[in-house]
Amino acid sequence: MKKLAKSKLFEVWSIIAKEHELFVPVEQEGESVNFSLWQEGEHVNLDHLKTNVSPKQIVFPQTETYLKFKTTGKKLSLENVGGKQAPYVLFGVRPCDAQSFALIDNVFLTEPVDRFYEERRNKGILVSLACSNPEETCFCQAFGITPGEAPQGVDVATWDMGTFLLWKPQTAKGESLTNQLNGVLEEALAQDEQDCQELQQDIQQKLKDLPLAKIDPKQITGDLKEIFDAKIWDEYSSRCLGCGSCTYVCPTCHCYDIRDFDGGKAGERFRCWDSCMFSEFTLMAHGNPRKTQKEKFRQRFMHKLVYYPNNNEGVYACVGCGRCMDKCPVNMNIVKVIKKLGGEKA
Amino acid sequence: MEKIAAKVREVAKQALASGAVTKILGWETGEFWYDASPVFITDEKAADSLIWDAFCVTNLSKYLIKELKTTQKIGVFLKGCDSLAFNQLLKDHRIDQEQVVIYGLPCPGMIDPEKVKKAGLHQGLLKVKRSGDELTFVTANGEKKVSSRSFDYDKCLRCRYPNPVVYQELIGEEIVRETSNEDRFADVSALENLSPEERYDYWTKQFSKCLRCNACRNVCPACSCEKCVFDNVAAGISGKATVDSEEQFFHIIRAYHVAGRCVDCGECSRVCPVGIPLHKLNHKIMKDMNELYGTYEAGVDGADKSPLVTYTLDDTDPFDGHRQGEK
Ligand code: SF4
Ligand code: SF4
Ligand code: SF4
Ligand code: SF4
Ligand code: SF4
Repeated sequence: MKKLAKSKLFEVWSIIAKEHELFVPVEQEGESVNFSLWQEGEHVNLDHLKTNVSPKQIVFPQTETYLKFKTTGKKLSLENVGGKQAPYVLFGVRPCDAQSFALIDNVFLTEPVDRFYEERRNKGILVSLACSNPEETCFCQAFGITPGEAPQGVDVATWDMGTFLLWKPQTAKGESLTNQLNGVLEEALAQDEQDCQELQQDIQQKLKDLPLAKIDPKQITGDLKEIFDAKIWDEYSSRCLGCGSCTYVCPTCHCYDIRDFDGGKAGERFRCWDSCMFSEFTLMAHGNPRKTQKEKFRQRFMHKLVYYPNNNEGVYACVGCGRCMDKCPVNMNIVKVIKKLGGEKA
Repeated sequence: MEKIAAKVREVAKQALASGAVTKILGWETGEFWYDASPVFITDEKAADSLIWDAFCVTNLSKYLIKELKTTQKIGVFLKGCDSLAFNQLLKDHRIDQEQVVIYGLPCPGMIDPEKVKKAGLHQGLLKVKRSGDELTFVTANGEKKVSSRSFDYDKCLRCRYPNPVVYQELIGEEIVRETSNEDRFADVSALENLSPEERYDYWTKQFSKCLRCNACRNVCPACSCEKCVFDNVAAGISGKATVDSEEQFFHIIRAYHVAGRCVDCGECSRVCPVGIPLHKLNHKIMKDMNELYGTYEAGVDGADKSPLVTYTLDDTDPFDGHRQGEK
């Protein structure tokens, strides 16, 4: 293991930024924190847990052009665009958000593989940061995520030890990034690793005291049909405004639409996020199979708690980041749904 | 507010028991100290879950559009801003007064959980109680009293109508608050003082944050079209790409569409997940309208006509009388 003094962060970022696009959690004046391109002088906030919009937007951008087309006379010309060109580093990803990438991988990286997504994933190096102070809306532990531990699959895992970050490369990509930073990183001492153990225990303790510590989707009983017909969908959907806030801030929502910019003789075909909460979602030539808000609302939660796990060996499509709780204009959210379906430990 | 909350439950129970209404729309609490969400109640016993506290910020009026299609008579609790919205919905023929019994709630202001979190007061917080402008933060280690005004939602700090302007029954005492139009449009004046280029940059930056989640539209009582043009696939302008032109298009359409009907309830700015100050757009239009056609406030009166839907011969010509159409 290595360690990175916080006083050297600037130096490290400068080195990384030379050969990569570097995304860090940036706090804009009087505004929220979001992952954006690192630039000198930006206020990087490594204490803030949940960026306003999840870092999903880097591996799966809200809008991505696929194709440009143009007609000249009777000739139609097509040009493939899209995909990620530059290698990049995503620095300071929280364990829940890191896990969300693995969940989206299950969708986009199984046959038929989504090429653009694959390219973005391959070009990226993930540096995670453990959560020393989980917040009251955090319930990642309900989905088997331990925010004190190194998340599986991230290239480098780090822990905030006060004056330095403990730095643990976990993959070949992580090793190679570590090598590039050799002049700046120091060897971690046995004592540092010891301290890290203590930090992890401390985090475990904090998790136990969180208000949502008892949430456990595994306690939900009933088969698909029973849950599908549950009364709660009427009750809860009646309050839902059908906006897309919860789906657009969610790190695991991955529905998209493909649209054209129609400029007459020229245009672009692009992919963009969609939301099951929107009225024209699943609209087909014959009409819409999900006619009311009840069906749309139910879809969001059935997808995360029933359909996705049924197709992915019991893994839920939620990482418990709590963003939807913070953002819903009327305080409806997945925790309320899980609780109502009985997903709580005694 | 706790005494009033008891009355809220009482009133709801009586109304359901007597058959005066078949449904009640109010708020109930949830997981956290700030958690309040709208709730529909048909069973008298369930009325015990109704609350009235410093977090009942969601406007309940908008729900009536959908609800009145299936419910003959509903009882609803409305704050000042909600009541303005109610009047506007009436005027826009979106709801029928006959189907609604309004229980008016004079509102001392609602607390913004984000401000509490920013001040670091949320650690171990169990409950926040409000009495007038005094807040009591209750934690396991004791209670702490503070003034509410530094935690009120921005929209509540600007509130002009804490008392409902329309109701059948008022619950509690009217609230007295000083408000001035000058303060109300101070944010606009600041923007007006910038050069057109600076203003353009300001809004471009703001709109570029927009996720097109539609929360601002869906919460808005003036956005009451049965089918929004942005949801109409056939119109070809649903504009789901996050590019400047689409975002600006969305916002300019929305701002103009609510012009003269926006009741300044502040819900759009409150719900925006990325913090775009949408109220400044609305304020700019209101301010201009006031200067051009005299002071008008949408929602205050359920029957008068907005200056934008009336015409008189001595109306100001905006290209002539009002700064000669300068930018
Ligand atoms: S559903 Fe909510 S808690 Fe779960 S991952 Fe999405 S935003 Fe986070
Ligand atoms: S954010 Fe809330 S109101 Fe909006 S769609 Fe999601 S659950 Fe419904
Ligand atoms: S705007 Fe006024 S009436 Fe509305 S919640 Fe705030 S203080 Fe209450
Ligand atoms: S535009 Fe905003 S302030 Fe105006 S009525 Fe709609 S939600 Fe309220
Ligand atoms: S609520 Fe905010 S992010 Fe959502 S559409 Fe409106 S302005 Fe855009």
